Amino acid sequence: MKKRIMALLASLVLAAVSVTGCGAGTDSKAAGAGELNLFVWTEYLPDSVVEKFQKETGIKVNVSTYSSNEDMLAKVKSETAGAYDVLNPSDYMVAQLISQDMLRELDFEKLPNFSHIGESYKNPAYDPGNKYSVPYMGGAGAIVVNMAKVDIEIDSYADLFDPALEGQLVVLDDFRAVIGMTSKALGYDLNETDPAKLAEVSDKLQELKKNVVLYDSDSPKSALISGDCSAGMIWSAEVAMAMEEVPSIEVVYPEEGPYLFFDNWVVTKESPNYENALKWIDFVMDPENMAMILEEFPYLCANVDAIEIMGDEYSNNKAKNPPADAISSGSYVENLDSSVLDIYSEMWTKLKE
Amino acid sequence: MAKRISNHEFKSNTMPAIVTVGPVAILSLFLVVAPLALVAIMSFCQTDEFYNVVYKFTAINYSKLLSPDYIKIYGQSLLIALITTVLCVLIGYPFAYVIARTKSHKKKLFYMLVIIPFWTNSLIRIYGWRTFLGSSGWLNMLLLNLGLVDEPVEFLYKTGTTVLGMVYCFIPFMVLPLYTAIEKLDGSLLEASSDLGAKPYKTLFEVIIPLTSGGIFSGCIMVFIPCLGYFFVSNILGGGNTDMIGNLIERQFKSANNWPLGAALSIILILVTLILVKIYQNLGGDMDSLGV
Repeated sequence: MKKRIMALLASLVLAAVSVTGCGAGTDSKAAGAGELNLFVWTEYLPDSVVEKFQKETGIKVNVSTYSSNEDMLAKVKSETAGAYDVLNPSDYMVAQLISQDMLRELDFEKLPNFSHIGESYKNPAYDPGNKYSVPYMGGAGAIVVNMAKVDIEIDSYADLFDPALEGQLVVLDDFRAVIGMTSKALGYDLNETDPAKLAEVSDKLQELKKNVVLYDSDSPKSALISGDCSAGMIWSAEVAMAMEEVPSIEVVYPEEGPYLFFDNWVVTKESPNYENALKWIDFVMDPENMAMILEEFPYLCANVDAIEIMGDEYSNNKAKNPPADAISSGSYVENLDSSVLDIYSEMWTKLKE
Repeated sequence: MAKRISNHEFKSNTMPAIVTVGPVAILSLFLVVAPLALVAIMSFCQTDEFYNVVYKFTAINYSKLLSPDYIKIYGQSLLIALITTVLCVLIGYPFAYVIARTKSHKKKLFYMLVIIPFWTNSLIRIYGWRTFLGSSGWLNMLLLNLGLVDEPVEFLYKTGTTVLGMVYCFIPFMVLPLYTAIEKLDGSLLEASSDLGAKPYKTLFEVIIPLTSGGIFSGCIMVFIPCLGYFFVSNILGGGNTDMIGNLIERQFKSANNWPLGAALSIILILVTLILVKIYQNLGGDMDSLGV
């Protein structure tokens, strides 16, 4: 019996050694061969730009994608430390990553292209002094309407709750965006925390439930182009892309002021490829490269020199480059207490059940 | 040869036991027992203000599972899984019967029809359905061109579409056990039944179905249980409107970031599975035909 236990232990040890041996092997290879692991939003970074970077630097880039900030956070936490070098979080998520000590400070000596970033985009409230992040692209949770299919006038988020739109909407599969929009429709804050008001928001969401047929953050434009949905609340640049396919599609910035977001480049604390990460961030801040990205994904951009290259077609397009008054009237998602977030989660489950 | 083997005796049982059972035992220890134990432990854990898991005991996750919203979702998951299973039997049985009883070379062809879809990832096939059923998809184009409808029919983003996707995904899991059961069916019993004056429907209900009930049971189990967890079908074809238990679990591990609650939900799903397998066993089901 004793012998059997010894043998079992021996085989366990062998197995353990072989497993760890394996892990160490891939790690050292990753650092030595010049790799970079990017974790970015879906439909946010063209392959051509990644290929250009690989060609210029010889660094092998692995791109993984996510479709909500919370998904990203969950994935980063569940992976081994340093599995991703560069992340692409939105405003409030940058603040949360900083407060959880998950980011590494950026060395601006290595980021000369930061000079192309517009002054108004520097020094944001979520990362004072840009210690950890540089801004990439952003936009609004804009209202999209296919004028050929919708009979009512839509000027505000509140109009999306009109029973005339039953079974016609696509909205982002993002609880902060959809619940925030509903709070705004009732005249409350995008980041409402008052339980009494949130109870009202929850009731209001049940009206929205009848109108929404699709929750999609990856490519909400598809359902509008195919004609399966005729209106909704989606990323502003997705509206721009849908407008190019279907001329009757238009963008509307809500009277209540839109939900806004701005996404950033950050480097993880345990990143094994810090130098490569900085090379990447500097590369995408180059106006030529940024313009390549904007050609494919026309979001609001922090890079003023890239906007210069894009010309009037980009600057005058309301969906690509949201007008200044829409931006100034809008609000950003903020980090909430977990007790409030639990209420948000419950409301979201009720909406999707 | 046979003599040599029977004459050979191992001095102890240790070595053969390690060599034969050892690798599997280690694999299942690492890949089944340890993860399950982790899920069970996590389901009793708390979270901090950033939703990080804190290893401190609480039963709150289980008390949350009784909220009316969740119970509604369990109910509709079970209903969707049940409808899917029934449809799979109704469609799969005649098909499996034809494959099993066909003598000609067509048998291989039919069999391949079941196997080939496995060569493509189910996620891609489900997206294929979305394109096919959409307002500007092929099906609507066909209906419009034939003049059967005046404007595109809205097939997508309904509970029925989710069921369609589920049936499509799981029909091979129904057909294969049924095929095995029907193939074993002795043809002379059917002849005997007919010689003794039974009408075809009587032969079907009193001879064929009772004799293949093992296959029906195992097919049902293999469709019903994974059906509860296939969250992406209801996300893609159902539009994310009708959550199933799988969606609920997925959300706790992703956007809601509440792993202990997700773990508790997973435990519930495991319990449901165990109960169903127990029922199957009590009804006389054979564990071997489940492939477990």
